[in-house]
Amino acid sequence: MSHQGSSKASAAIRVTAILAAIAVAAAFCYLLPRSNGLVVFPADWTVDWATPLTDWMKYLSRDFDVFGLQFAKITRFLGWLVSQPFEILGGVMGTGFTFYRVDAEPFVIPPLPWTGITICIVLVAHHVGTSRLALWSAATFLFFAVFGLWESAMLTLSSVTIAVIIGGFIGVLLGVLGYRKPWVDALLQPIYDIMQTLPLFSYLVPMILFFGFGPIAALMATVIFALPPMARVTTQALNAVPNSVKEFGRIAGATRFQRTWWVLVPAARKQLLLGLNQLIMLSLAVVIVASLIGAGGLGGDVLKALRSVRMGDALASGFAITFMAITLDRLSYAVAMRRHVHETVTRGWLQRNKLLVSCLAAMAATIALSTVLPALHTYPDAWTVELGRFGNGVVSWISSTFDAQITGLRDGTIVWFLKPTKIFFLSVPWAGFVLVVGVVGWALGGWRLALLGVAIFTAIALLGYWKKAMISLYIVVLSVFASMIIGFALGLWGGLSDRANRALTALVDILQTLPTFVYLIPVVMLFSIGDFPAFVAIVLYAIAPGIRYTAAGIRGVRENLIEGAMMSGCNRRQMIWQVKVPLALPTILLGLNQVVMMAFGMLVITALVGTRGLEEVTLVAISRVNPGDGLMAGLGIAGMAIVFDRYIKALNRKLAHQLGLPVPK
Amino acid sequence: MTTQKAFLECKGVWKVFGPGAEDFATNPGGEASTEEFSAHGLIAGVRDASLSVAKGEIFIIMGLSGSGKSTLVRCMTGLHELTAGHVLIDGIDINNISEKELVKLRRKKISMVFQDFALLPHLTVLGNIAFPLKVQGVPRAEREATARKMIELVGLSGRESYYPDELSGGQQQRVGIARSLTTQPEVWFLDEPFSALDPLIRQEMQSEFLRLQAMLHKTIVFITHDFDEAIRLADRMAVMKDGEIVQMGTPEEFILNPANDYIREFTKHIPKDKVLKVGSIANGSDAPTNDQPLQASASLQSVAEQVIAGDGRHPVIDAAGQVIGSLHRSELGPYLL
Repeated sequence: MSHQGSSKASAAIRVTAILAAIAVAAAFCYLLPRSNGLVVFPADWTVDWATPLTDWMKYLSRDFDVFGLQFAKITRFLGWLVSQPFEILGGVMGTGFTFYRVDAEPFVIPPLPWTGITICIVLVAHHVGTSRLALWSAATFLFFAVFGLWESAMLTLSSVTIAVIIGGFIGVLLGVLGYRKPWVDALLQPIYDIMQTLPLFSYLVPMILFFGFGPIAALMATVIFALPPMARVTTQALNAVPNSVKEFGRIAGATRFQRTWWVLVPAARKQLLLGLNQLIMLSLAVVIVASLIGAGGLGGDVLKALRSVRMGDALASGFAITFMAITLDRLSYAVAMRRHVHETVTRGWLQRNKLLVSCLAAMAATIALSTVLPALHTYPDAWTVELGRFGNGVVSWISSTFDAQITGLRDGTIVWFLKPTKIFFLSVPWAGFVLVVGVVGWALGGWRLALLGVAIFTAIALLGYWKKAMISLYIVVLSVFASMIIGFALGLWGGLSDRANRALTALVDILQTLPTFVYLIPVVMLFSIGDFPAFVAIVLYAIAPGIRYTAAGIRGVRENLIEGAMMSGCNRRQMIWQVKVPLALPTILLGLNQVVMMAFGMLVITALVGTRGLEEVTLVAISRVNPGDGLMAGLGIAGMAIVFDRYIKALNRKLAHQLGLPVPK
Repeated sequence: MTTQKAFLECKGVWKVFGPGAEDFATNPGGEASTEEFSAHGLIAGVRDASLSVAKGEIFIIMGLSGSGKSTLVRCMTGLHELTAGHVLIDGIDINNISEKELVKLRRKKISMVFQDFALLPHLTVLGNIAFPLKVQGVPRAEREATARKMIELVGLSGRESYYPDELSGGQQQRVGIARSLTTQPEVWFLDEPFSALDPLIRQEMQSEFLRLQAMLHKTIVFITHDFDEAIRLADRMAVMKDGEIVQMGTPEEFILNPANDYIREFTKHIPKDKVLKVGSIANGSDAPTNDQPLQASASLQSVAEQVIAGDGRHPVIDAAGQVIGSLHRSELGPYLL
């Protein structure tokens, strides 16, 4: 009891401290003039780390020597090494190979026929999954062909494949290392944290410096971006292998190598394959954004179409990305979930490798037939459906018919929510903000957490990014707020009704499969560019975990607690608001954490539709080839995301402790 | 059996978890209580355990959870490093050999069966059973031939190509047993092999285990938390509590002379007539008065009817037919309830 009492008392002290800090910050606002250094961070206090960083990276990429070997040569060689399999795969799948000759026509090796590739995908889908999956895959690949997107799609697919192979390989190696050496793991975890929250654009600039503009730089950025989750999953999966299996490996007298690669990794294969599924989806999302630096492919098509206002084309490419994402997700998921089933009879090589043989046969047959019927090899241009500007009419019809509603919604949101919030964030004195961040951090998790928050926000101010950071923050805070309100309402509905839950689960599954970039397309079409479409895109993207975790939390309340409440005479309303929702709070907060992380992830992409925060700095850095600025601004975003993450986790621990529930992970 | 030469020996084995464990365990720790250990931030997993197992003997270590039985067996297999003491397998001190020699020992001399089976999910029954030979580099055809023999031995013929998650618990443990026998080990460790199984399957597997041992004559260390199982299977057994061996001896010795109340609590519910042999309660001082001899090695249960129906003192004879004592029905009474 005394413990309870003292924790109540200290809670009161904490709340008082937070209120006092806010009061001081507010007092700053009114009492100090804007010329005061504590209100607006003075320009001559800022330090410029970006320029030296840029200079250093440029030096690194041009003149730096490693044992007399130019560093640039090493990176170019690496790039060349990666480009080989990529070009071969891209050639085989989509573009073919052209060898130019003096005094002769160029020698051309054509790519594999589109029909052959489609049949193979369908065979694989049927083998690992259901007929429905096979049908869906067939439709997806037909879609690529019919809408004239075959080559772009194959290029994107090749990029994803190569990125996944390299990322998977390095990721598993790092994961194994992290498993074997806990200190390596402890060292890598914070690095992964930063790598995962650092905006993609920040990676792109240095990659351009080292690997040149084009698909290889994009590929390298993709690998680096997608690697941490794979490494993490690997370490977790190996740690989760039952102890007895590990002991068996030792008792059987297996060497360390055998224990790792014959026992541990195969025993963890299911989780590893699920990690691979994540890796594939993340790579696809990144490859598409990386189109910006000349990776081409479907992402590039969307971008080009949007720029030249060919809405039909943009939609077609957007759908192609969507379909590809769903196909890859379901296919790799089916592979991960496949169960081993024994074979009743011993079968010959041909029987055992039926899939491979039938794929090869299909390929051979289509190649042979395409000599007679060229349409089987290359989908004829004459049959493609050119949407071009077709969609423009539809879009303008929508915008003219619903003009009042659209403008009403947009302007209303801007006037009532976006603008006031933005003005508020920009007017808060920086010192007061940092003070509040520090006190809240202390109240939630002690002085270490407070120090982290204060350090990161002070660094942002020092680097001269305060204003930009506040602009980023205001959009994130508002969209997180909106996502949580809508997500909570929908999740609550799903948590209470089975039918709603089924529908919402299907919706959330699709929302979470779609690459970030896809969200921008409809938003730009309807709302043009600016903060409002960015806000809508972030809400659409980040709402999924809000729904999912709320529903899961409500459904996860233990049956005996519900029965207990029912027996104490709770009515339906009391059951929801006084039992289920409070007990689901820790899970909902987990959802909030995810929503915040996803909002930051999407924020970065919204720079493409003209937001003005730190994300814009990272985007502009690409065109100016200014890696220092890109990285520093990116670290600013990553830092803010990490502060949010740690604060929410600390809050969650406190809450779970108070409710007597296990701390959710 | 105790007179036979020991094949596996533990001498003063200590396993203490925590920082600075070694100094404490060997110095003042010898007399320290569990509380004193935890006051130093240490946990005594095994405290000064000494035992010896003869060749071909089934030695059972029984204890409730947290008693240190699993820790002790992990000390014997080198999975845990000892804090103090020695473990000798066939004269080799396993804590004083190189990693390489330890691997060799594990490949040739010892094997282990696990409570949760510890089968590799990606391999078939055949692949799992052949696995210990695979790590030794035995060619495929040879190791699969050996594995097939093991499959037959444990009665899983026809299931070679099944994957573990297609099998029942009992079948999975048969695979675990077969796998642990492929390398023809001399010492066979079984860590609660039947604890995860349903009671009926457990009995079936116990019989199966005895059948196998009758054929194979391995030196066995068998861990269980089930006193009945220990009594049923053991040649000799040890009961552990709080990391210490409380009592060690044959099942009959446990029934006849429980060392303390803790042991007595376990023996209370054991049907004594099933465990005890005629020889161990025969009266050596009074001469037999009838000519209906009883075998010394027979269980009381099997002769009870005859003794109760008979008149006077039955002669008790050993395997050679020599009279070693006598038994009257009044002497049987205390053991039949």
